[in-house]
Amino acid sequence: MLTDVDKKVVAAIQGDIPISQRPYKELAESIGISEAQFLEAVRKLHDQGVIRRFGATIRHQKSGFSANAMVAWKVDEARVHEAGKIFAGFKGVSHCYRRNPVSTWPYNLYTMIHAQAQEECVEMAREMAHAVGVEDYNLLFSKRELKKTSMEYFPFDDDD
Amino acid sequence: MTVDRDKFAMDATDKAIINRIQSDFPRTERPYAAIGQEFGLDEAQVIERVSRLKESGIIRRIGGNFVPDKLGFVSTLCAARVPKDKVEMFTEAVNQYPGVTHNYLRENDYNIWFTFISPSMDEIKANLSEISAKTGVEDIINLPATNVYKIRAQFEL
Repeated sequence: MLTDVDKKVVAAIQGDIPISQRPYKELAESIGISEAQFLEAVRKLHDQGVIRRFGATIRHQKSGFSANAMVAWKVDEARVHEAGKIFAGFKGVSHCYRRNPVSTWPYNLYTMIHAQAQEECVEMAREMAHAVGVEDYNLLFSKRELKKTSMEYFPFDDDD
Repeated sequence: MTVDRDKFAMDATDKAIINRIQSDFPRTERPYAAIGQEFGLDEAQVIERVSRLKESGIIRRIGGNFVPDKLGFVSTLCAARVPKDKVEMFTEAVNQYPGVTHNYLRENDYNIWFTFISPSMDEIKANLSEISAKTGVEDIINLPATNVYKIRAQFEL
């Protein structure tokens, strides 16, 4: 269970932590606890796996991975876990999930793939298809980013 | 500090620092001093480099990324089939929900793809109905993940 302090710490580190000598001290002061308490909560949330990743998020476009695509795959359910694990092993794959298909969209496995150029994404998908023996897949390149933010969990209430 | 975003080039030390801090930023009182120790730099030099990487746009943010379930939230991927002339209006309707964190226009009949995070799936379903009612876009599919095989923590530079 998350305590009220945990929730405040989550809210404090879900944005951008200051680039300064004592960032945790600054954040701790902003929510009225000590630096030691703050760090203890961060470590606990990390150890418990509530924090999945703690660190810098980079912009792919600026770091050489300018092309990305979502690939939706239609994989035989009997082999979907095996396929998911094989896809996960590809270096260019950042995310791989199984999702339930629906009548108008029969795909059940999803990957985000990243490369230097669109043609490389196409080629990577071809290799992945070959590795798993799947023929029915759909590459969905993004034409436009319409929104990209981080989730705001437990925003501070005005009456806090 | 002014950094020309287009001309900025990372050196080997910048890349090493980024690789070091993507998934395991130090959780100690003086994190930049700790990083400096590993690279033979002093704290001020690390702060300067990281500030520059932030300013140049290579680093989007430094902070925590959470497992929604463990905070009592659910997440899903949604896709909608939106007629061309309704794309702007639909986007505006969808993006106003704070739980919609990512939204992309993609090349497919299902052309709008967005992620939705919320305290419950019922709330997400209710929000999707609300969006349909408001925009007239009926075909919105809801595709929550049932299994996770990979979420990469790190882009090796």
